[in-house]
Amino acid sequence: MIVCVAVVGHQNNPLYIQSFTEADDALKLHHIVHCSLDVIDERVNNPRKSGPMLNETFLGLLYPTENYKVYGYLTNTKVKFILVTTDLDVRDADVRNFFRRFHAAYVDAVSNPFHVPGKKITSRTFAERVSNIVKSFGFSSG
Amino acid sequence: MEEYPEEWRSPPVTLVALVGCPEHHHSITTHFASLQPPINTLALPDFSKINLLLSSSDNNNNNKESIPGGILKRDWLLKHRFKVPAVVAALFSYHQLSADPSQWLDVCSQIENLKSLLRPKNIKLLLLVVQSSKDDNSISEDRMIALQKRAELDPKHVLILSLDLDDSFQLQQSLDRVSTSFAELATAYYRDEGRRIKTRLEKKAFGSVEFNVRYCFKVAVYAEFGRDWVEAVRFYEEAYRILREMIGTSTRLPATQRLVEIKTVAELLHFKIATLMLHSGKVIEAVTWFRQHNTAYKRLVGAPEAIFLHWEWMSKQFLVFAELLETSSGAIQSSSTLVFGNADRPLTEWEFYPAYYYQLAAHYMKEKRLALELSITMSDFGDEADSSVDSVVPSVYIGQFARLLEHDNSIATQPLTDEEYIRYAVAEGKRFQDSFEIVALLKKSYELFSNLNAQRMASLCGLQMAREYFSVGNFCDAKQIFDTVATLYRKEGWVTFLWEVLGYLRECSRKQAAIKDFIEYSLEMAALPVASETSTQSFISKECGPAGPASLHQRESIHKEIFGLVTGEIGSAPIEEYDDLKLTGDNPIHLEIDLVSPLRLVLLASVAFHHQIIKPGVATSVTFSLLSQLPLDVEIDQIEVQFNQSNCNFIIINPQKPPLPALSKDQQGFRVEHAASLVLTTNKWLRLTYAVKSECSGKLECLSVTAKVGPHLTIGCRAESPASMDDLPLWKFEDRVDTFPTKDRALAFYGQKAAQVEEADPQVDLILGASGPALVGECFSVPVSVVSRGHAVHSGELKINLVDVRGGGLFSPRETEAASMDSHHVELLGISGSEGEDESQLGFDKIKKIQQSFGLVSVPSMKDGESWSCKLEIKWHRPKPVMLFVSLGYSPHTGELTSQKVHVHKNLQIEGKTPVLISQHFMHPFRQNPLLLSRINPGLDSDQLASLPLNETSILVVCAKNCCGVPLQIESMSIEKNDDGIEKSCSLQDGAQDWLPALLVPGEDFKKVFVLKPEVKSSKLRLGMVDLKWRRSSGLGGQSCSTAPEDSVVTKHELPDVNVELSPIIVSFECPPYAVLGDPFTYLIKIRNQTQLLQEVKFSLADTQSSVLSGSHNDTTFVLPKSERILSYKTVPLASGLQQLPKVSLTSVRYSAGFQPSDVSSTVFVFPSKPHFKIANPGEEKIKSQLAE
Repeated sequence: MIVCVAVVGHQNNPLYIQSFTEADDALKLHHIVHCSLDVIDERVNNPRKSGPMLNETFLGLLYPTENYKVYGYLTNTKVKFILVTTDLDVRDADVRNFFRRFHAAYVDAVSNPFHVPGKKITSRTFAERVSNIVKSFGFSSG
Repeated sequence: MEEYPEEWRSPPVTLVALVGCPEHHHSITTHFASLQPPINTLALPDFSKINLLLSSSDNNNNNKESIPGGILKRDWLLKHRFKVPAVVAALFSYHQLSADPSQWLDVCSQIENLKSLLRPKNIKLLLLVVQSSKDDNSISEDRMIALQKRAELDPKHVLILSLDLDDSFQLQQSLDRVSTSFAELATAYYRDEGRRIKTRLEKKAFGSVEFNVRYCFKVAVYAEFGRDWVEAVRFYEEAYRILREMIGTSTRLPATQRLVEIKTVAELLHFKIATLMLHSGKVIEAVTWFRQHNTAYKRLVGAPEAIFLHWEWMSKQFLVFAELLETSSGAIQSSSTLVFGNADRPLTEWEFYPAYYYQLAAHYMKEKRLALELSITMSDFGDEADSSVDSVVPSVYIGQFARLLEHDNSIATQPLTDEEYIRYAVAEGKRFQDSFEIVALLKKSYELFSNLNAQRMASLCGLQMAREYFSVGNFCDAKQIFDTVATLYRKEGWVTFLWEVLGYLRECSRKQAAIKDFIEYSLEMAALPVASETSTQSFISKECGPAGPASLHQRESIHKEIFGLVTGEIGSAPIEEYDDLKLTGDNPIHLEIDLVSPLRLVLLASVAFHHQIIKPGVATSVTFSLLSQLPLDVEIDQIEVQFNQSNCNFIIINPQKPPLPALSKDQQGFRVEHAASLVLTTNKWLRLTYAVKSECSGKLECLSVTAKVGPHLTIGCRAESPASMDDLPLWKFEDRVDTFPTKDRALAFYGQKAAQVEEADPQVDLILGASGPALVGECFSVPVSVVSRGHAVHSGELKINLVDVRGGGLFSPRETEAASMDSHHVELLGISGSEGEDESQLGFDKIKKIQQSFGLVSVPSMKDGESWSCKLEIKWHRPKPVMLFVSLGYSPHTGELTSQKVHVHKNLQIEGKTPVLISQHFMHPFRQNPLLLSRINPGLDSDQLASLPLNETSILVVCAKNCCGVPLQIESMSIEKNDDGIEKSCSLQDGAQDWLPALLVPGEDFKKVFVLKPEVKSSKLRLGMVDLKWRRSSGLGGQSCSTAPEDSVVTKHELPDVNVELSPIIVSFECPPYAVLGDPFTYLIKIRNQTQLLQEVKFSLADTQSSVLSGSHNDTTFVLPKSERILSYKTVPLASGLQQLPKVSLTSVRYSAGFQPSDVSSTVFVFPSKPHFKIANPGEEKIKSQLAE
């Protein structure tokens, strides 16, 4: 199950962060998202290490915490998407698919002429769409 | 890792024993210890001791249990390190063997005894015969063989040790030989032991699963003895696997203790495996192994009341693995290029960093503390429990505990029940300060992450560490770390984290009674962009720290609390909390907000001048815009605006507030303005426009806007220009309406907080009086007059600059210094003071600096309406146009050194022109022509020079032409012989009387005749300079002439060099000055030979129509040396008027030079009848003859 998704801007500032959990660990999830930016930084700054992922937007598993797995995605405009899931057995293809759909939703949201680039995404439509994508991720991988 | 005993942390060490000959033990022991790998040595002085050593272990071996009491014995590894030798070496001296048979019998019995002791344990025996150099005879072969047989040993295991102390090399060799044998035997022993147990395993000859684990462990340890790491890891892993299976099956102990035992053993096995893997550089395997270990045991939580034991154990696993990774970090460096994991089990970078494990260790430690606290509160163990746990000690088996009972001097152990055990564990747990442990782990992790430049990870560790400090009441350390962490969150705009951290910081300041910090943090929190919408992201207060969840409501309550505190009316908040936090008049608080302060959210001041350039003394409008993001309205009591020109400062007072008791001392005298309202509404600019008037020219900049809220709080806010204002931090990411600081959009984009105040308009005229061109050589003066028209002039300075119009070099002083005098074409000579003013009146303090193209002169003080003038004297050396810049700087008020100066600038272009052009030409006397050979046969260099005959009179005509547009008065013209030699070489005299002074209008020539007689033969004779003395004609030029009439100027002109040579033949004609029609006259042609040679001259005479003559027309005649030949013709003119005489042409045969006189020299005027002259002045005749030329 996806417990948290986030869009992080150029200055590593959160543009959109939403957790999907009943438990009271939202802040912890935010911290996980924030810390995973370190891994993204390292991967982006040392592309030699990551080798084959040089030109790929999908950054793969960022780091494991005790109970979660964190995946990352970097758009061409250097906006980062981060996904935190509790499923310890996730197929890469599912995550890639999720990010692709999420990216599409993001592009639609920022294409809104009333959206100012670099500001937080407050679109309700975007939130609904994201929550649908998150739900369907649960089903397809289930 | 340090908690583990040494025997677990290091690979096992071979143990051997030495018996007999104690005097040699030391050297052997030290040698073995220095080996690689080292060998531990048990040194037994005599043979009786070996009984004790080996019999003790016998007992242990005898009571073999069918059902084991535990999995691993605590002292098994230690036993093999310090008690059970692999090899026993019996040392015999040479004397014992070679002496009498009774001693030999002793030896034999000792060997027998040893054999019987060692055989059941398979311990290897070695015999050493110690021989020294003193023993000259070697041992007989028979004895050695007998010894071998007696001991039933291989010959190679009976060694002779030569302990020759003098020869260290031999000693070393002998010791090396011995140690090799020892090592061989020891390896054999451990291999045999391992094999023995392995067969047991293969046969499944073990009674219980505990033995299975134990045997696997032993095989692995024996493999380690033999340095077979692969085998060791294999059996450790096997043991680990079987152990893991035991969890469900074993029923030997009560459940909790059973789990504890298994976990403890698993931990040790895991430790061994991880160590071996890391030491062999298999980092990926080790990490993967650790992950498996972690997943295998993570869920084995155990009984609820003993959960803390599980978390403690987990924490320890992570800590130990972190330490292992850190100590073998060299191996990780080399594996930087490794591919992380595989598709099934991807490994991430972080899992190779010890920091990650330290962090998790800390995490589990926290879990442990939580669980322990729960256990303590749940259990009703009183203080009496403490005494009952005193007697609990670790039992012989690893991971087990037992109660120690004393019965009549004998000690027995009794197993514990689970309840007892938990009680013991809780009591043990209480003894430790988990906080310190957690902080230490987090600090380690924090430092490592910081070194990795993983600042967010480090911040998270820092945050947890600071929370820990906070919880134990160490507010000082906590605050410091929270501050560091807050910086990152501020920078990256993670508002929820920042809210939490600031909440902690606020509490820290409250606890430390640091009121300023408290207010700052509180204000920042209140101004954070936490909107009400985030309430959907419910954070419960437990994880949000002391500030509670971030919400608009919370912000508002903080806002109210702070402003209640500041204004002295604490509202809803309980008062006792603020005992230490009081604002009084003694310690007023001043907050400073600069461009990078996080408090910019609280108050932002934008200042825009409506005009960029303002006149002094003229008021201009300035708009002050204040913005606050505080959630509620803030009413400001008073605003103080500060400029860099302090007399512009002013105060804005809120009329709704009662006036403040008194303005502070430094505010007295400030202008006071009243505003309609000084209420700051959230995200709404408060715009105030006031007029500002500056008297001083220069920059006028608004420095700060200070708001006073309540009696004791002031917030100083650095003024910012709207044009260059940064976005508000944090709020810039929010989706909110951006408003402009000023109503005028243009001002919002281009407004500046500073404006330029211009100089006052000058009310003084500066007049440059010169007109017309300047003439080269003259001292051209430019009158400058300063006329005051409204301003008094004080400490005035006049600056003069001459600049080349054509863009050549400015005549800077530096340039002119470097160049020679000739190179400054235009020069400022001086500045003469005003008319009627004595030079002495200027005084010495007045500045007067003159350089070639720059001048500085001070202007005396003047009252309004007065004037002052001076003259600039400029001299042109070359004709050149020049721009003259004159600027006057003065201050209109007296005595104010600091007051602003007013400047007036004027410039004027002046042409420089050459006044006269001087030329010259040479002539021979009338009707006399010398033959000059250089003329006939011109050489290469002589063609430019004029040739003059030696010792003959020549005539020099100098002509001066006025080529400027100004009439000139010629005063004199003379030739100055500047060379001493000229005096002798030629005589020069004025040929005519002066008609000077003469007026020379533009374009006119002035000529003067000089008579010249060269006396020295020279190919290059210098004649000297023509000095022409002239001045501007005062009569015609009138006012335009600015040169004083008495200043005459000398223009010099260098005469060209001449070639002086001896003329061999001179021809002259003689005839009367005039003829009368029909009257015959004699026409003489004189040919003078000046040489020592006979000259042959041909001549011919052409007839003319105007006359008839007698004499030969063509002939050749000879002229004797130094004599003269005269040809005489009687001529009768036939026509009147200016008539041509018959033309003569002469040819000198010797020089092949022809000569024909010019037409002018062979004409004569014929009167029709004899004229009558009235002779008045003999000079007139001269002039007439000159004019006739």
